Amino acid sequence: MGFLELINFYVIPGVVLGSIYALGAVGITLVFAILRYAHLAHGDLATLGAFLALAVVTALGLPPLVALPVAMIGTAAVAVGIDKAFYEHLRERPKIVTVMASLGIALMVRSVVQVVWGVDSESYVRGIVRPENYFGLRIKDREIYTVVFMIGLVGVLQLFLVKSKWGKAMRAMSDNPNLALLSGIDNKKVVMLTWIIAGGLCAAAGVFLGINTELKSMMGWHMLLPMFAAAILGGVGRVEGAVLGGLIVGIAEELSVLVLPSEYKAAMAFVILLFMLLVRPTGLLRGKVL
Amino acid sequence: MKSKFIAIAGGLLAATALAGATAKADVKIGLIGGVSGPIAAMAPSMISAAQLAFQQVNEQGGILDGEKLVGVVGDSACNPQGGTDAATKAVNIEGVSAIVGPHCSGAVLAAAGSVTIPAGITVVTPSGTSPEITGLDDKDTVFRTVPSDDYQGRALARTLKEKGYNKVAVAYINNDYGTGLADAFKAEFEAQSGEIAGFAAHEDGKASYRSNLAELASGGADTLVIFDYGDGTGLTILRQALENGFFEKFVGGDGMKSDAPINELGAENLATFVASSPVGEKSDSLDVFNEAYKAAGGDPDAIFVTTSYDAAFMLALAVEKAGGDKAGVSAALREISNGEGEAILPGEWEKAKKLIAAGTAIDYKGAAGDHNFDAAGDVPGTYALFEVGADGFEVMVEMK
Repeated sequence: MGFLELINFYVIPGVVLGSIYALGAVGITLVFAILRYAHLAHGDLATLGAFLALAVVTALGLPPLVALPVAMIGTAAVAVGIDKAFYEHLRERPKIVTVMASLGIALMVRSVVQVVWGVDSESYVRGIVRPENYFGLRIKDREIYTVVFMIGLVGVLQLFLVKSKWGKAMRAMSDNPNLALLSGIDNKKVVMLTWIIAGGLCAAAGVFLGINTELKSMMGWHMLLPMFAAAILGGVGRVEGAVLGGLIVGIAEELSVLVLPSEYKAAMAFVILLFMLLVRPTGLLRGKVL
Repeated sequence: MKSKFIAIAGGLLAATALAGATAKADVKIGLIGGVSGPIAAMAPSMISAAQLAFQQVNEQGGILDGEKLVGVVGDSACNPQGGTDAATKAVNIEGVSAIVGPHCSGAVLAAAGSVTIPAGITVVTPSGTSPEITGLDDKDTVFRTVPSDDYQGRALARTLKEKGYNKVAVAYINNDYGTGLADAFKAEFEAQSGEIAGFAAHEDGKASYRSNLAELASGGADTLVIFDYGDGTGLTILRQALENGFFEKFVGGDGMKSDAPINELGAENLATFVASSPVGEKSDSLDVFNEAYKAAGGDPDAIFVTTSYDAAFMLALAVEKAGGDKAGVSAALREISNGEGEAILPGEWEKAKKLIAAGTAIDYKGAAGDHNFDAAGDVPGTYALFEVGADGFEVMVEMK
């Protein structure tokens, strides 16, 4: 097998897939850092975002990238709503209660998607797109958009966290919620902000998965495990770690076919997750929470 | 806020009470299908075909002492877990007399093994095609109106060889359906001195299969045989194989003969795609069914509608014959379709009911075939290879 073939058929799909995982993993890592629980409805929120974009695409005939902001805003609103309606009441209870509640939310969100949009496979654009040839590298436009948008969104988020007042408040609450409260940070607003960001990123992950493959009601659920593996691999609470983790999980899944029978590809994320938890539970970039 | 919750809860209670009242004294047959999951696009027409049979029963005097026959729909999600859950609910909560389904082989095996065989409930699957189902130790309670994939895999291999496909790669979904079909195909294709240049299973639900495809293509075959579902992973694989030019020609099993690839990829891109599927033999029964199903607003060419209808109608006959005794359904099922007795065509419920009451032997001639079950509860079948034409799938050649 030639070098170009390795890049074209194993590494590039891995990077694209990894970018999608990264978008989801950043949300997971933020929720984990600030609210201190694993949010299992993350994958299904991504599904919801993808289908919201589909609604815009079919209703207005816009390209999916234009529908992306609408889907992000819509999903962010839903995420905030879910927090207000369900998680807020459980804030003072043991965290495991909220984790289980989020599993219930996952089922509810998926059912809503199935009731509204049905259970068939859908796609944003009918037909197939053959890749362009860049000096032997076979890349599709949508793959470039996916990676560029991921880097852009995460870059903006990172700037926001480091430079802005509210970003600093979020980091403070992640470091020590009680101290943050004492120094006058409005915890409720920080929580809301967290959900807005997590919801928006979820929708982006879903839309890009939809652009690169198809939309199915189970699409987000299938992504949940790789996204968690990515968040833990990078170090829980570290945004840049989640991106790194996402890319590693994505590329590792694709490359695994070279050495393992292909039916074990789906187990790759499990293996990475187990290995990291055993060897270095703090993650590659030394997470702040675990 | 609280009063609102109470109002909603009260409303729900009232609704279930109403539903309960009308359902009293009905005879129930479970319709367990892959409503969600990878065969979601096929399931609605399969379920509506089965409901048509029940509707005919109810229009022509009902079952037993004029009771209503009701189809209770359950979702197997096309996986073993879902199949078991849906069957448990149908058997233990709804108290069904028999079950049509589940639709997918894995769901059939799981539901039969853990629920219906211990409970002694007869199941007839219209689309569970895995060869594994033949060997199930089922106390004669598991039947199917669709032929085993052992036949389909072999017929497809012979037909492809005749059509000049000599070197192929096979990608199959890692479940009971994919494995059974792929193994049967591989055995026969190699026996016909064809070359399998790649043979790999894949998991459902991943976003990218390009590395799998690259691996399969490295064997040098120009044809990819996909044993998967056209609404699920099969669509993703077909799309990525087309987009990246890994293969020139594509062949699918019955699971790929779904409208999803045509709708999502466009017929113009599927000129080199063919799919095999069981077809009903031309018969009076098939014509009668086609008329009735068209009149009910269905598409009789949709996949597995004939087998679904037959499964439902035969179970209704069997329940009638057994006098409502659940344990007697499986023996009655064999009696109403063993090739001896007065012929009953699809929809002839009134006639059948009278004959059963008089103690005359009847023989159901189904839309999909005569359904004279062998010892394992299987039926033989006929297949055709389909290509994509201007109006969807068109028969290309009969398969032998």
